[in-house]
Amino acid sequence: MSTQVNREQIKGMLKAHKPRMKRYLSHCMHCSLCAESCFLYMKNDKDPRYMPSYKVLNSLGKLYRKGGRVDRAFLEDIKEIVWKNCVLCKRCYCPVGVDIPAMIAFARSICRSQGVHPDEEQSWL
Amino acid sequence: MAQFVAFIKGPMVWIAFGVFFAGLIIQGWRFFTMSRKKDPAYIPGTEKKKKKKKKKKSKKTKAKKKKPKTIMDRLQPLIAFADKRWDNLENSMFRIHPLVSVVTIIFHVFLFVIPILLLAHNELFRAAFGFSLPSLSDQTTDMMTIIFLLCGGFFLFRRIFVRRVRAITTWWDFVMLAVTLTPFITGFMAFRQWGDYPTVMLVHMISGELMLILIPFTKLGHMIYFFLYRVLIGSEYSFGQGKRAW
Repeated sequence: MSTQVNREQIKGMLKAHKPRMKRYLSHCMHCSLCAESCFLYMKNDKDPRYMPSYKVLNSLGKLYRKGGRVDRAFLEDIKEIVWKNCVLCKRCYCPVGVDIPAMIAFARSICRSQGVHPDEEQSWL
Repeated sequence: MAQFVAFIKGPMVWIAFGVFFAGLIIQGWRFFTMSRKKDPAYIPGTEKKKKKKKKKKSKKTKAKKKKPKTIMDRLQPLIAFADKRWDNLENSMFRIHPLVSVVTIIFHVFLFVIPILLLAHNELFRAAFGFSLPSLSDQTTDMMTIIFLLCGGFFLFRRIFVRRVRAITTWWDFVMLAVTLTPFITGFMAFRQWGDYPTVMLVHMISGELMLILIPFTKLGHMIYFFLYRVLIGSEYSFGQGKRAW
């Protein structure tokens, strides 16, 4: 696996979905009311790291904040958030109506485009 | 300074309202142009149509056989609809977070009602346009403002002391809360003549205008996007049929 990431490709992907994703990110009110809709949050002693909003803000949110200027280590960090901490069951509920699963799925697509995804041996899949 | 105050009192009010309404229209227009495509994957509307057709058939056969409808029969669909809504409510945020739900509803309703139905604002409105909206008494709006500020205090408390909210809170959330609460705090102070009245009124006007300008372009945009996003959701939470896609 190469250590470099194709930043231009990431920037292109981020730009293509910018109007929608930036609106979602900016309209997340950080109210934490989505927490209980995530079974992983409920089953992990209500650890805030499993809140849907936390997962989105710390994966896709950071990608947009950095404008795609990220390295492989960063993508490896968010790999755990978007694959291990979320199973994309689409049951999360946002009172404002933000489409949380779409954002996680998009963050996964970006990771996957750079070859960052869970290995077969990884036990959490 | 006198010129600055005159500007804040006069042209700035119109600029703020102009930006506010234009911003809302632009954001709404942007939403509908971006989401013109319909989502083919899940269309709840079609299910409803099928059900309706079936119902119509059964009603027709019944009508042929039996007596005319009573009032209760006619009300039945309405009762079933209310029942379904109540079930949804039971499984909603009201059940999981009753306190936050009630506080947030009061907060948002008062956020609109207080400035629009305030007697003093309506007097200014009458001076500008020659007519005014109905207004509540000063005592009522005063009491409502106290409740509103307590609700705002509740949100601030959550941001600082509740672990899960703190985990996703940024400095910008505090700014947004301050932008929302400042016009009400200063309005409350002005009504009670607390502090230096001209300064309090100046801060009141600037913060109110700032809030109006920021609404369409920041987090506060959920004022319009709350309704728009729900047109997208293909579920019981949708305001439309949930057909739209981006």
